[in-house]
Amino acid sequence: MGNKKDFGLYACGIALFLIILPLGNVLGFVSGNTISLWGRYFCFAIVALGVDLIWGYTGILSMCQAFFFCLGGYSVAMHIVLKGATASGTNGIPMPDFMAWNQVEALPFFWVPFQSFGLSLALGLLIPAAFALVFGYFIFRSRIRGVYMAIITQALALAMWLIFLRNETMLGGTNGLTDFKTLLGLSLSTPGMKLGLYLVSLITLGVAFWFSRKLVDSKFGKVLQAIRDSESRTSYTAYRVMHYKLAIFILAALLAAVAGMLYAPQTGIITPGRMDVRASVEMVMWVAIGGRGKLKGAILGSLIVNFLYSICTSLFPDSWLFILGFLFVTTVLYFDKGLLGMLETVAAKLGSKRKPSPQPAGHEVMQS
Amino acid sequence: MNCIQKVWLVILLAIGIGGGAFAQQADSISIKVAAVLSPPNDTARSQALQYLAAQKDPSTFPLLAAINDKKLYMLDGKAVTTGEAENFGGKEVFTVFYLYPQNKEAAVKLPADQLQKVEISRSERLILNVVLPYLNLTSHDPQKRIMAYGQLVSAQDTGKIAILAKALRQEADAGALTAGKEVLFQMKLHEALSEPEAKAYIDSLDGNWGENVGLILKNYAENGNVVSARAYAAEKVKALESLQGRIEKAQNLFSGISLGSILILIALGLAIVYGLAGIINMAHGEFLMIGAYTTYCMQSLFIDTLGVKSDLYFWVSIPVSFIVAGIFGLVLERLVIRHLYARPLESLLATWGVSLIMVQAARSIFGDLTAVKAPAFLAGGWQLMPHLVLPYNRLFIIGLTVIVVSLTYLMLYRSRLGIRIRAVTQNRTMSACLGVETRRVDAITFFLGSGLAGLAGCAMTLIGNVVPDMGQTYIVDSFLVVVTGGVGKIAGAIVSGLGIGFLTKVLESFYEAVYGKVLILALIVVFLQFKPRGLFPDKGRIAED
Repeated sequence: MGNKKDFGLYACGIALFLIILPLGNVLGFVSGNTISLWGRYFCFAIVALGVDLIWGYTGILSMCQAFFFCLGGYSVAMHIVLKGATASGTNGIPMPDFMAWNQVEALPFFWVPFQSFGLSLALGLLIPAAFALVFGYFIFRSRIRGVYMAIITQALALAMWLIFLRNETMLGGTNGLTDFKTLLGLSLSTPGMKLGLYLVSLITLGVAFWFSRKLVDSKFGKVLQAIRDSESRTSYTAYRVMHYKLAIFILAALLAAVAGMLYAPQTGIITPGRMDVRASVEMVMWVAIGGRGKLKGAILGSLIVNFLYSICTSLFPDSWLFILGFLFVTTVLYFDKGLLGMLETVAAKLGSKRKPSPQPAGHEVMQS
Repeated sequence: MNCIQKVWLVILLAIGIGGGAFAQQADSISIKVAAVLSPPNDTARSQALQYLAAQKDPSTFPLLAAINDKKLYMLDGKAVTTGEAENFGGKEVFTVFYLYPQNKEAAVKLPADQLQKVEISRSERLILNVVLPYLNLTSHDPQKRIMAYGQLVSAQDTGKIAILAKALRQEADAGALTAGKEVLFQMKLHEALSEPEAKAYIDSLDGNWGENVGLILKNYAENGNVVSARAYAAEKVKALESLQGRIEKAQNLFSGISLGSILILIALGLAIVYGLAGIINMAHGEFLMIGAYTTYCMQSLFIDTLGVKSDLYFWVSIPVSFIVAGIFGLVLERLVIRHLYARPLESLLATWGVSLIMVQAARSIFGDLTAVKAPAFLAGGWQLMPHLVLPYNRLFIIGLTVIVVSLTYLMLYRSRLGIRIRAVTQNRTMSACLGVETRRVDAITFFLGSGLAGLAGCAMTLIGNVVPDMGQTYIVDSFLVVVTGGVGKIAGAIVSGLGIGFLTKVLESFYEAVYGKVLILALIVVFLQFKPRGLFPDKGRIAED
């Protein structure tokens, strides 16, 4: 029964996002802005998958996912900015305008590799992964967990945000990187490019979802859930808990970085504002609102919250924070299993009225 | 000190040479002043002005400055000028200053129409050009006097030293006197021709210890007139620099302690609540904000509504901000947190949501920026030695922290309530079995913890603006204090609060503030490698999960 319902859901999703929206865009009744808006939502959904893997399935509350997201975003943004750079540096490499305004003479050394697209992609994945490896190693080694983990990662997000805000880090400071022109020689402002990026984001989301599904169903995934439910018992049964945690931390960071890479060209700007503590907490909340411990829930939550954000900020700009805060509180207090959990409860109740005997499908039982 | 006296003697001698003629001169000056104020014929005023400008007597400077500013008036036959305008009963009144023979403030404040303006033509004012650099020497504003002293250094006038010395004899403000003496000694030093003379002035500069002494001596060490005294100046510069370095360190130490005490105030409540209920209250910073806004409201209430223009509002707002923030905390506990005990991660998210709501609410009620006027009794600072001033407001915060921490200690370790709180912290179920009303203890603890944050907010108004997201600035820092200190331990909060505050300031003095923060985070991560449960971990079975 569960499979049938899932099939319907997937079919609906595919029909809507892979056929109707792009077709509408080509035929002209869905605007280019809507397409890139949804493309960005898909990026957020990819991050949410990572958050769900690490928090929903492993029970580690990481509050610095937005930082990894921005590492990916910045690497692609740096490449795009370099391609459109006009100011000339003393070492013969053109450099972005904001550097010229800041009286920088030559392109800083760490910008040089980003001239190549392939290297930018590689670095955009490598840097977050290396960061997650080193930071995660020290955190998990000393068995920092639970609330401590949340606080330390929050402090990391805060510190990195402060660093990116500085002008002397050569990443554009508060203004971030903007004025994107071309990617791989194609103009970013054409409708075709927007649709292309949208489709790439959607397909990446699909692949990420399929991969995460396989992962959580595998033995590896079961160990992750065992860690979530009782870390000490898992370690007593001779699993090296730290390795599993480290692996999932890096994986979540990679998912966030991929999302960031797709996000930056679609928005046309990336600023440190995307990586402050609040951004990270919001990412966690998407998953909580959608239903944690369920991959579908993560995607659903991120799409719904961001869709709401777009509507609310245009309709009542001042009250978005009230709505968001209210959503946070009510979700945590009353809808512990999120939207998806609520739907399932309702469905189970309706189902049990019709035929009382079978139990609702065996979904993960949440314990914190 | 001896050297300073020596120099004064030299100056007095220099002035004293013409001493005999002094009394006579003063007489003729007062005659000329009278001629300026009510000239007997058309040319008398400009002649008198020319005479006064040539004499350059400091006692006439206030009068000449008033003429130059076109603000010379007569009041009961005496020359006066006006100062700041003030609104008094819907009418504009001015502070009035007498100009000659004494430069002093009149007891009355008068509206402009009671003063009789003395019109002085432009050509007459132009006569004063020769004395313009000196006119501010007798200004009523010490700041302006200090500037005037400084400008004398570059003035092209051989008589300037004598004029400055005369003006300084009337100087009453300590800061301006130091600045003026520095200029005087500097000019004397540059005119000095023999080595002992130059050394005496170098000593005087050193003893006087003004703002720019290092620069002056450094210049002299490089290209002073008396070559043999250059090395002496260089020596003094070195000694001064090392002294200044020590003072800077002391200042850093002090600001580290004061930052640490704010962190302690915030972290104390956080640590108690977290230890008791395992709740990470992300909205804790917002109670700080509530405390600050309560202080602001108290100020508006007392000063604007009740018209009490004393510092009373501040004393009242200390307990009121505690109670108001505490009540908000109680409401939060009752509505949200009560349902989330034993679910720490969820409580973190829910309280984050609450904090979003509270910040936005504050923004829509109070706007983006408000400031509390610091109470008058906390203005200024305690001058330990020249150039080392400990501001009273920071001292007050440190004092407040000491008192609050001691009270909290007494409450936790010397009262029945404290025993209950500690019992519930150690073992909730067992305490409940023994008849402790754990729910009530939770509520009271939450009230106390939020109240402490409110107090911190009240204290924060002394050193910064009141903004809706002021709590967010400190919240991550204070969480780090709790993590480093160990859960629910007062001693931990104190030691790590002071340590982090102190380290922040020390690192800030080496690097930019931001890199200091990053370094501290790295240090804390390293520290947790060795002490994962903080400085003061629980021992024994209760420490296990």
